[in-house]
Amino acid sequence: MVFGPIPDREYHEGFMRKAIEMAEMALSSDETPVGCVFVHAGEVIGRGINGTNASLNGTRHAEFVALAEIMAEHPSSILRETDLYVTVEPCIMCASALRQYGIRAVYFGCLNDRFGGCGGVMTVHSDPAVDAPYPVYGGLFREEAIMLLRKFYVQENAKAPDPKPKKNRELKTEILPISTPNVATPGGSTPTIEKGRPALPILEKAALVAKAQLKQ
Amino acid sequence: MGLSQPDTTTAAPPTGGTRKRRMLHLKTKEECRLGNETIQVWTVELPSKHAEGILKVIKEQIEGQDNIDLQHLRRFAKPKYLPQHVIGKRDLVKEMYAVPRGWESTPPTVIQASSASWEWSSGSARKRGADRSLTLYLLVCPSNVIQLRGLHDLMLQYPPFCSSADSWAYPLEIKEVTVPRLAPTSPEQADQWSDEYWPTFYRKTNPFGAHPTSIGKAEADLEDPISDNVSVSAMMELAEQAGTATEKLGYGISTGCVIVERADDQTEIIAVAGDARGKSLPSEGGSDDANIDTSFEDAGDKKTGGAFAKKTARKKRKKKEQQIAKLAEVNACTSGNVMCHAVMRAIGMVGRKRLRVASQPISTRAAKAESGFYAAGLQRDEKARDAFFLDLPVTPLEQQYFTRDNLKPDGYLCLKLEIFLTHEPCMMCSMALVHSRVGRVIFKHRMPQTGGLTAERVRNDSGPVGLGYGLCWRKELNWQFMCWEYTAFKYASGSARQYTDGKTSAAGHVARRTGATAGVQGKAMDRNGKAYYGGENDDEDDDAKDDADDHPKHTTTTATATSSAAPGDENANSRMHSLAHVHV
Ligand SMILES: [Zn+2]
Ligand SMILES: [Zn+2]
Repeated sequence: MVFGPIPDREYHEGFMRKAIEMAEMALSSDETPVGCVFVHAGEVIGRGINGTNASLNGTRHAEFVALAEIMAEHPSSILRETDLYVTVEPCIMCASALRQYGIRAVYFGCLNDRFGGCGGVMTVHSDPAVDAPYPVYGGLFREEAIMLLRKFYVQENAKAPDPKPKKNRELKTEILPISTPNVATPGGSTPTIEKGRPALPILEKAALVAKAQLKQ
Repeated sequence: MGLSQPDTTTAAPPTGGTRKRRMLHLKTKEECRLGNETIQVWTVELPSKHAEGILKVIKEQIEGQDNIDLQHLRRFAKPKYLPQHVIGKRDLVKEMYAVPRGWESTPPTVIQASSASWEWSSGSARKRGADRSLTLYLLVCPSNVIQLRGLHDLMLQYPPFCSSADSWAYPLEIKEVTVPRLAPTSPEQADQWSDEYWPTFYRKTNPFGAHPTSIGKAEADLEDPISDNVSVSAMMELAEQAGTATEKLGYGISTGCVIVERADDQTEIIAVAGDARGKSLPSEGGSDDANIDTSFEDAGDKKTGGAFAKKTARKKRKKKEQQIAKLAEVNACTSGNVMCHAVMRAIGMVGRKRLRVASQPISTRAAKAESGFYAAGLQRDEKARDAFFLDLPVTPLEQQYFTRDNLKPDGYLCLKLEIFLTHEPCMMCSMALVHSRVGRVIFKHRMPQTGGLTAERVRNDSGPVGLGYGLCWRKELNWQFMCWEYTAFKYASGSARQYTDGKTSAAGHVARRTGATAGVQGKAMDRNGKAYYGGENDDEDDDAKDDADDHPKHTTTTATATSSAAPGDENANSRMHSLAHVHV
């Protein structure tokens, strides 16, 4: 299975671009380069990057930081008409939180094959549960999202007191083709191969995602 | 307004001394698979002196024979240690050559003569078992690795199955038998499987969960605390008090969390938090900071002289109750502020405390990260952020533990800390515990419809017990921790129901406990178009006062079904929902 087609892709890319910008900013301040924006009625109402270093709290993910910004001004019910754009698939924790808050839809860049809760490891967004499921769409600027994580990993390794072997400090630029084990969109049709994107075997073992997330 | 009224239908909670509870270590996801997972394997019988030779052939010639780990099974087994049905299995080689050949059928006399000497005249149907001590059964490989014909042809090329000038070939029989796919997790299980399937080892290790020795040690720590260590029952009571405290203030449901650091025979209570999902956010008209609100307690509890003071207090309380009711309405369409589940708040408090007790380099690093947020324009409103995460104390009880600088400096997140919970946490909170690298988790009430830690889906035919996520021990995730249910005695001991409590009204208890979550269940039904039925319903005769909230009698999940539970409260009907559907 590959990422399904995203209707109106360009529109969504516009917001994912903003999420990527957040991730770039995180990278420049040594935080895990995961960025997100929440969009309500075509307007960004919350932005977030990882806040673990500042809070010494391993649960302070980008999504939650953005939610704090939203709820300073809006009731939580606004999320039912709000979409999330996040560079890396939400983790199991965030996926569950988003479902409990009633998020409308989630768009993400690359899979999180270490902690992903929207298809990467588990399918918390669509499993049978007391809350309504939400649709997820993956693959928006996927290559850029992965490259940011790789840059971060190389940068962290170079700084480590006992640097890892040189091969880990080299920035690999080749990115394996799209794949995803089981990103299911509730109620939707089986995701099909995107136009213009060849279906290729499952190869995405984003150890990078894993390693980067490990540091959170 | 029933939201915060003290429970009048049930007795006071029992004290620690009368609790009939034990720690029951949760099965991991993989351990749950073990019960019924088996695999088909080929076996051959052969003289023991040829055993090593044939094993070598198998290892060298059968590709993929060791891809599936069957280390828990004996490779060679003496016939006397095999279950009778394995020895009596059909020989598939014979079946492969299905052409009837009368002379191959064994004469009955030979079958009965167990000590008869080798009957050359019986041809290939030589009696096995004449001297079984000299033969062994070899577990060849999983039968999906090589086809019967392929194995047959391979075996016939090597002694003892090949003919050669100086000896008769030993008759080749290939049988397909069923064996356990995964290693046993206890000696009892190994014994049982040896009787049922094939001789099985128990290696005193558990590849599918915590090592039994670690579990034993942890249980000793918690159930029989030495010196100043705290006991599980004491911590559970504290967690309950934390939940009751926030519930009384109308902040949330009565679930609580206590985080403990146990090091060098010293135990420190690091954080205590109750659920506060209903505490209004600044955007919802609430106060814009997370200060401890004692107004409600003042109004209710303080002994103030004079009728006027009492009247003011009543007014104040009335106003507060109205606020709470409004809040419940707002939350009727959402789950409130999900971030304020007790677990999330307690983890947040640990982070706050870590910042406070951090050494210079750590706090510098944190401050730098924080300033990065400001530079990015992300942290414009600190008070709003605190009100959202609510990782500061909101009750005097929480405050009492939060202010102590008793955390060992420069630890990592919640590494190795112990977590005590009144209820099994939801998926968000369960994964938060994984992210925080906690050491041990003990919860009191299972949440079969929302809990993230239980891996079992059924137990003792009592119906669904959980969603089956088992997040405490998933190999796919990068952190595992031991987890116990602090359960009614009968489950932990495996004994039959021993206690009854006819005095209590489970339904009334549900009504009281879940008032603050009005609407949550309604949402579940609306959105999904059907009602969910959950909870353990076989437990209410035991310690019903404690269990009623997560084991309601799920006759139906509609409001009217439980309305009789609290007569006299005209508003109660709309709020009579079961906690079973609530994420904790
Ligand atoms: Zn997350
Ligand atoms: Zn929770």
